[in-house]
Amino acid sequence: MVDDKTHDRILEVENLSVEFSTYGGDVKAVRGVSFGVNRGETLAIVGESGCGKSVTVQSIMGIIPMPPGRITGGSARLNGMELLGLSAKESNKFRGVQIGMIFQDPMTSLNPTMTIGDQIAETLRVHRNKSYKEASALAVELLEKTHIPEAEKRAKQYPFEFSGGMLQRAMIAQSLACNPSVLIADEPTTALDVTIQAQILELMSELQRTENMSIILITHDLAVVAKMADEVAVMYAGQIVESGAVDDIFYHSSHPYTLGLKKAMPRNTGERKQKLMPIIGSPPDLFSPPTGCGYFARCPYAMKICETRQPENFPIVQDDDHHAMCWLQHEDAPVTKELHQNHASIDHAG
Amino acid sequence: MLAYTLKRLLAGVITVWFIATATFIAMHQVPGDPLMNDKAVSAEIRKNLEQKYGLDKPVVEQYFIFLGNMLEGDFGISFTQQNRRVNDIIRDHFPVSATLGILAVFFAASGGILWGALTAIYRNRTPDIVIMFLVILGISVPSFVFAALGQLLLVNINSLLGQSVIPVAGWGTISHMLMPSLVLGLGTMALLTRLMRSSMLEIVNEDYIKTARAKGLSPMRIFFRHQLRNAILPVITVLGPQIAAITTGGFVVELVFAIPGLGRYFVQAVQQLDYTVIMGTTVFYGAFLVLMVIIVDVLYGFVDPRVRLQ
Repeated sequence: MVDDKTHDRILEVENLSVEFSTYGGDVKAVRGVSFGVNRGETLAIVGESGCGKSVTVQSIMGIIPMPPGRITGGSARLNGMELLGLSAKESNKFRGVQIGMIFQDPMTSLNPTMTIGDQIAETLRVHRNKSYKEASALAVELLEKTHIPEAEKRAKQYPFEFSGGMLQRAMIAQSLACNPSVLIADEPTTALDVTIQAQILELMSELQRTENMSIILITHDLAVVAKMADEVAVMYAGQIVESGAVDDIFYHSSHPYTLGLKKAMPRNTGERKQKLMPIIGSPPDLFSPPTGCGYFARCPYAMKICETRQPENFPIVQDDDHHAMCWLQHEDAPVTKELHQNHASIDHAG
Repeated sequence: MLAYTLKRLLAGVITVWFIATATFIAMHQVPGDPLMNDKAVSAEIRKNLEQKYGLDKPVVEQYFIFLGNMLEGDFGISFTQQNRRVNDIIRDHFPVSATLGILAVFFAASGGILWGALTAIYRNRTPDIVIMFLVILGISVPSFVFAALGQLLLVNINSLLGQSVIPVAGWGTISHMLMPSLVLGLGTMALLTRLMRSSMLEIVNEDYIKTARAKGLSPMRIFFRHQLRNAILPVITVLGPQIAAITTGGFVVELVFAIPGLGRYFVQAVQQLDYTVIMGTTVFYGAFLVLMVIIVDVLYGFVDPRVRLQ
């Protein structure tokens, strides 16, 4: 993590709330999410399935289906420009231009009836007014930039002729076409096998350096977070429950959920009989979110207040810009065994 | 692609042979024969006739004679229409049926794709509900009802205008063709509308549409460049059999509109057990259907690159 304190925020999201109308009622998928992304840095958003990670970024991009989706509040500013509530026409001035996006499954994320080259060129033709020929040549260059061999030949091929890893490279090439300042990667490696995962992540880091872009990386793989992220936001039940620099999140885990995620991750310690500790139970029903803390029912440290009152977003005093939405960070809270707490004198590293 | 086409053609030939054989066997299982029609003929005349048409030979031999003639492209002479060759019947009347059919398919395909796309865009709103109601009508109401209603409409239009602008029946000019082909294509149009609608709705939720939106493409561009082409694939698949079904199944409409198409002969021949005409029209229609399916399969390869290279 870069330690200069001048926070050069490129994207600032404040209090974002998103709901979906369904037959069963309104699902409050995102409940007041705030985060920022610094220029040239990577923010990782982690959390289990259904916690609102994807909805958050797709709302910023304006690509959630509306209806049934509905942004009920908040703002998202890119270089000071408000992105939420723009018309489709205005949105298309930043989508694919200033913010690029890649998705979880590269196999289904490209149009099966268009060549790879044409799909990349399409972005350039629409946003940069390039001729078909110019755009096609640039598409080949972009494919080369993502280390696709024989790019010229590959550009004329269709998605079904590519492997999964190659397709994700093509997706990255496509999202980079207009030199975006932010790349949103929604679980970019989940559908790929482990060796390819590493290659894709390496490619993303490399391009981040050369293109000086910021990355929002959505994942539920903490190993990926440790490798890629500068900052981390841990999401649970539509809220960010802990956020801060990557080292603070890992070594000063201040929310029981973060701790639970860490324990559920396999470790390469050499011990043979290592048991994974799953987080017991399931997330709360977001049709009627709990009045108190969303993690209350599953939290080993749950207190009386947690059931009835939404915890405040406490700053962790020892760290810089590290917050946790948990009553255990209150000065009157009891001291726990493993959790990093504001008022506890001992530091439970690891 | 060439090897693929040739392979399909070979399979097609085998299919046509199978159709011919099955029809031949089935036809001879029906009690009676072409000579038993209206008037009772004396045994002597009957014997002469049997000799003339080769009906006195064993059925197996008749079958091989038929196959040999078919390979030379000769279907023989009709039993019921004196001295008229089956080839001539097909040559005279199939172009009429084909013209009617092609026009009907054109209406059905363009209408089906248009209405289907429209209902998908206006999903669960008024245009969707209205069109889908009409689609149910189109599928469930038989074509002779539409044919009669179509004629009634033309009569009203003509009497309103005081002169015969669009002829109510008959054949010859484009204006003769419009109403019957529309009526003939209506059922298929309804079918394709439903297919297109579900196909479009499926594709709206595809990941690559999300990608297209994230690329900042306009809704129009996404619709035409990304949705339509992929949504049309299943429509093209059913188009082949539908073309054949429309072209061969038009005899009801041909009857109502007094169109001299092949359909009438096809049906009459079965009633009269006119062996040569039955074989001729069935094999011809069978070959036509097989050919249409092959053409559509090859065409499919042009729209979907995944098919092309396999």
